[in-house]
Amino acid sequence: MFLLSLLSFSLSFLFPGEQLINISGQINATTQQLALLAEQYQSHDNIFQQYLAYIDKLFHGDLGLSMASQQPISTEIISFLPATIELSLVALLLAMTVGIPIGFIAAIYHRKMADNVILSVSMIGYSIPVFWLGLLAILIFSIQLGWLPSAGQISLLYEIEHVTGIQFFDILISSSPYKWQAFQNASSHIFLPACVIALAPATIFVRLARTAMMDVLDSQYIRAAKAKGLSFWQMIYHHAIRNAMVHVIRDVGLQFANLVTLAMVTEVIFSWPGIGRWLIESISQRDYTAIHGGLLALSSFIFVVHIITDFIYAALNPLARENKHGS
Amino acid sequence: MNLLDIRNLSIVLKSETNPILAVDRVSLTMKEGEVRGLVGESGSGKSLLAQAIIGVLDDKWQVDADRFHWRGQDLMRMTLDERKAIITKDVAMIFQEPMACLDPTMTIGEQLAEAVDCDQLSGYFWQKNHQRKEAAIGLLHKVGIKSHKVCLTKYPHQLTEALCQRVMIAMALAKRPILLIADEPTAAMESTNQGQIFRLLASLNQLKNMSILLISHDLENVTHWTNTITVMYSGQFVEAGTTKQIFEQPFHPYTRALVDSSPKANIGLPTKSRLSALPGSIPILQHLPIGCRLGPRCPRAQQECVIAPKVKNSHGHQFSCHFSLKESY
Amino acid sequence: MARDKIYSEEEFPSPLLQLWYNFKQTPVVMVGFSCFLFLTLLAIFSPLLTPYTSVENNLSFLLLPPAWHDDGNVSFLLGTDNLGRDMLSRLIHGTSLTFGLSFIVVLISLVIGVVIGSISALTSGIKSSFLNHFLDVILSIPSLLLAIVIVAILGPGLSNTLWAIIMVLIPQFVHITRNAVTEEFKKDYVLASRLDGASSLRILHYSVFPNIVEKLISQATLAQSAAILDIAALGFLGLGAQIPMPEWGAMLKNGIDLFYIAPWTVYLPGLAILFSVVATNLVGEGMRHALKMRKEA
Repeated sequence: MFLLSLLSFSLSFLFPGEQLINISGQINATTQQLALLAEQYQSHDNIFQQYLAYIDKLFHGDLGLSMASQQPISTEIISFLPATIELSLVALLLAMTVGIPIGFIAAIYHRKMADNVILSVSMIGYSIPVFWLGLLAILIFSIQLGWLPSAGQISLLYEIEHVTGIQFFDILISSSPYKWQAFQNASSHIFLPACVIALAPATIFVRLARTAMMDVLDSQYIRAAKAKGLSFWQMIYHHAIRNAMVHVIRDVGLQFANLVTLAMVTEVIFSWPGIGRWLIESISQRDYTAIHGGLLALSSFIFVVHIITDFIYAALNPLARENKHGS
Repeated sequence: MNLLDIRNLSIVLKSETNPILAVDRVSLTMKEGEVRGLVGESGSGKSLLAQAIIGVLDDKWQVDADRFHWRGQDLMRMTLDERKAIITKDVAMIFQEPMACLDPTMTIGEQLAEAVDCDQLSGYFWQKNHQRKEAAIGLLHKVGIKSHKVCLTKYPHQLTEALCQRVMIAMALAKRPILLIADEPTAAMESTNQGQIFRLLASLNQLKNMSILLISHDLENVTHWTNTITVMYSGQFVEAGTTKQIFEQPFHPYTRALVDSSPKANIGLPTKSRLSALPGSIPILQHLPIGCRLGPRCPRAQQECVIAPKVKNSHGHQFSCHFSLKESY
Repeated sequence: MARDKIYSEEEFPSPLLQLWYNFKQTPVVMVGFSCFLFLTLLAIFSPLLTPYTSVENNLSFLLLPPAWHDDGNVSFLLGTDNLGRDMLSRLIHGTSLTFGLSFIVVLISLVIGVVIGSISALTSGIKSSFLNHFLDVILSIPSLLLAIVIVAILGPGLSNTLWAIIMVLIPQFVHITRNAVTEEFKKDYVLASRLDGASSLRILHYSVFPNIVEKLISQATLAQSAAILDIAALGFLGLGAQIPMPEWGAMLKNGIDLFYIAPWTVYLPGLAILFSVVATNLVGEGMRHALKMRKEA
């Protein structure tokens, strides 16, 4: 975390333009305001003090103003981040529930036709560029078949108050009389982008689950369990899945970063009001403060999810809980 | 009546290029209450044989036999499922590295409870759970673990190898088997622990009249605990008989070499002289010799040894060699 | 005296040859490999092969569909885009841009990454632990995000994209090299060389590198498929190659506006990207599979 903040601090120096303006985002400031800012950010002192001042401001939630819209960055981030969280979590769940069982099945039918078919399909899956897939999906599902909508989070007909920013929670808490239809509408809106994002990680999960399950099936205790007289499916269900999941969960956390990046690109295509789209727009507009804040927010989000998956891994795997003493 | 009667069992490793005959026409018989040792170097196919009996081999191995009888029932005529049902009811197996044979994410108690047979429980399902736990504790006591409370809640990696092996034996006993196959049960332990496990097996044999097939590469250790011994080399049957016959009057040159290589037999050697051993090493699977596979290494080999020798029987002492040491006794 | 070799002499090919034999076994992988070679040839010889140049405007033939369509024209085999430029020529030129440049990018970052990784594996102490932590942080940020940020600093443009992707791939190679070298250093054959008095550099050159080359190559194929996708993604977002360069991602971006009237401007570049990534992945997979087979045999 420390290094992350160091990195983002140094970014302000790297961006073209005056450093002070980059950090604060006030473009049209008078000399007086500039002087005030200079005092706040302590730009006259050495770098170390500047860094401390920056961290101090961070803790107070002040990330500066966006250069394009002159809104405080923190409010913009808070309004956009939940939508991204919603989208990426739904995509992650989708990828896990589809990818991992298929990977297990591929390992069980190893060396038979099903395994080869699954492997080839999954290879194509993670080779597809996500933006192309998004465009194709819009073409086929929204335009030609008309099944699913192609933009936005929810149809404009429903007025749902923006409480948490996470659409599903908002629908549940709101007092609108059309809750159920709004829920359905929101699900249909989220379905296509989530599927597009989930495809590549799902195929990676298929491969990871397959390798993990093959390792488990080769191990001694599965053979001993077979000798014990358990039937094949009993054995898979009680023993193999638990052990394979332990290995897979660890890699899930690593894949999440990948997933968030895919989400960013997909948000642009589907006009999803998330932080990815906002970040890319601000890059095109050269809005440095926004880039700054967005990068920090996104990286911390990924970091937090990483830590959560580490906890889950430690909870599931008794081996990881102990620091291995001796034998 | 023989418990287990196997005649000319062969195991072939299927592959497109050339199938490899890993076990070549081995015969094995076991009576009730007998402790038989199955001795051979690593690579002699004894573990394969045991796994073929229990039925845990993969699809890439193909098992054929002239006769495979269990308690009089002909298993070759049955379907795979029927065979499995009969064997798993009466035969149990314990493996070489006990800690690796236990599921690392479940506690010992859970695994033991799983091994307890459903038929031995009665009553409604909430009673069954309780009964399972009681049965698990009883099993632990039978193998000599007094402090069951400590043991039941631990994970396998928190116990020692010897303790894990006892747990494995307990799980094997849960089914009340008639035959216990022990595949090198003490290979991963120190000698003090080895003695404990062997004593446990011997007591089980005496108290419950349970037959044991003890697989090992250590002839000397095995002779102390067994009634009869079968010797295998490189997948072929070498010799079988009572322990006394094998140890004191080995007919086959290979058994002779095994007996001679143990430290006890070499006590009378003068100092600084070579220990007696057969030259060379066991052949690799890709280059198996034709006929008798000991041929290239055997000190008594001659041209006839390219034809595999037939099994000859002399007062219950079976051997397969063209030029056996029978006449020299 | 005991003689071990009394069996027929078996031919043992060198590890590299063994790898090649194993690699040749899977037909799918050979297909992928030939596609890979095909793309490389296209990338190198593109100016000689294309019927038109990539920026030539044929204003009389705007938005022609591909030749198998009713309105298509055989002289423009895959159709034209909104400015009359031939799709086939642009795709072929794009090969040298997207595919060829990804190859060069991977090569450069491989060399730099290996050098930094070996240095970091050899040193120990504050310097190396700082480097390690720094690396871990950078590795935890997804590659595309980092590339976007670097492009934001440097400004859009193809050369900046290349620098960005190089800088993003270097930590991956450093990480792999460092892990592989530290692992090899713990092994006994390195100890034997050291006892003979070899310096670290010599050990690296003679003993360690030949053994880690395969891991590096498999990582390089992974990195190349990621690089192709990243270059195309940056081009698509408008941050990479600018129009009129025939880079595949930029062509896709161009085609979005024309999506409903001329869908082939979107299909074709995407198919090209898919094709090259699948070929690279097949080669990488085949190599990893061959390595695994060689280890087991």
